[in-house]
Amino acid sequence: MSPRLRLAILGLALLALLPGAAATIGHLPDFGSTIAAYGETINAIAPGERHVANMVSFINFDIRGLDTLGEEFMLLAAITGTVVLLRGKRGEGNTDRAMRLHGRAMLPRSEAVQLACRLTGPLLMMFGLYVVLHATVTPGGGFQGGVILASGTMLAYLGEGYAGWRDAVRSHWLDAMEGGGALLFALCGLAPMLVGAAFMQNVLPYGTFKDVFSGGLMLVENAGVALAVCGGFTQLFLEFMEETRVPDGPEEPGEDSA
Amino acid sequence: MSAILGVLLLLTAASGTAVVLVRDPSRQIFVLAANGIVLTILFTALQAPDVALSELAVGAVAVPLLFLVALMAVRTGHREENSGEGDAR
Repeated sequence: MSPRLRLAILGLALLALLPGAAATIGHLPDFGSTIAAYGETINAIAPGERHVANMVSFINFDIRGLDTLGEEFMLLAAITGTVVLLRGKRGEGNTDRAMRLHGRAMLPRSEAVQLACRLTGPLLMMFGLYVVLHATVTPGGGFQGGVILASGTMLAYLGEGYAGWRDAVRSHWLDAMEGGGALLFALCGLAPMLVGAAFMQNVLPYGTFKDVFSGGLMLVENAGVALAVCGGFTQLFLEFMEETRVPDGPEEPGEDSA
Repeated sequence: MSAILGVLLLLTAASGTAVVLVRDPSRQIFVLAANGIVLTILFTALQAPDVALSELAVGAVAVPLLFLVALMAVRTGHREENSGEGDAR
């Protein structure tokens, strides 16, 4: 396709779409002027109905919990796919030597970097745990806290080097966290049915408003998401980092289908 | 508040354009991370702390890190292929 033809098609498409886009943009509410009706409703009912102060968690884990369950399994499928793709050729073994570019000097890690990582790493993990545990009180929740925890493990890599990080992070534990978290979330949906309630109905006591223990079943679902996201993202980091390690020996022939 | 928002929106546009205009992949990754941080500040200013936390962790840390590692894996593999030692992947 020649560039001129491409531009012509672009122009035609813009001409066709412009009136609709202009009409839609014209009818949007002004920037930052109002809170949508849905938001107003959520703000009004969340503290009374579920004793929850964080409306986003209320939406994610309670009134649209089924959507979050779907997202949970999307994440699980995406990470499983990545692991299968990357690990398929490489196998499950590991070495502690990273690959290096030829002719590039390997500078030893400075003590300042090591100290900074040892100081900030645990603090970051602590903050991640805080974000996870206070999902129903302050902004954040299982997903945000889980990603912060996963990033915290990367500080171990930065401070201790590849071998130290690889020693601390075990692939099987990550598998268990990822799958177990998703399972926990699914069980949160199924368990209420055992006592005769609807799927994912919030049957646990709601607790006190603005307290860590508020929201009932949301706290368990939140823990499931945190486990799955933390395990999943760390697994993703691990599999990508393993791509840069030195292969153990000659790779097995005949496995490469490409 | 609106002045801060204007500056932040301009910064978002500038850093987003910079991601496209910087052509060297390894520099591009850091510009992408900077764009993630600008977006984080913008979301905070727009009073969406949940989204800001996600953007900070995913947009400014996880995605650039994965790109960086992928780039490193491609380069080391390529270099070994050229020098004729090791298994190229």
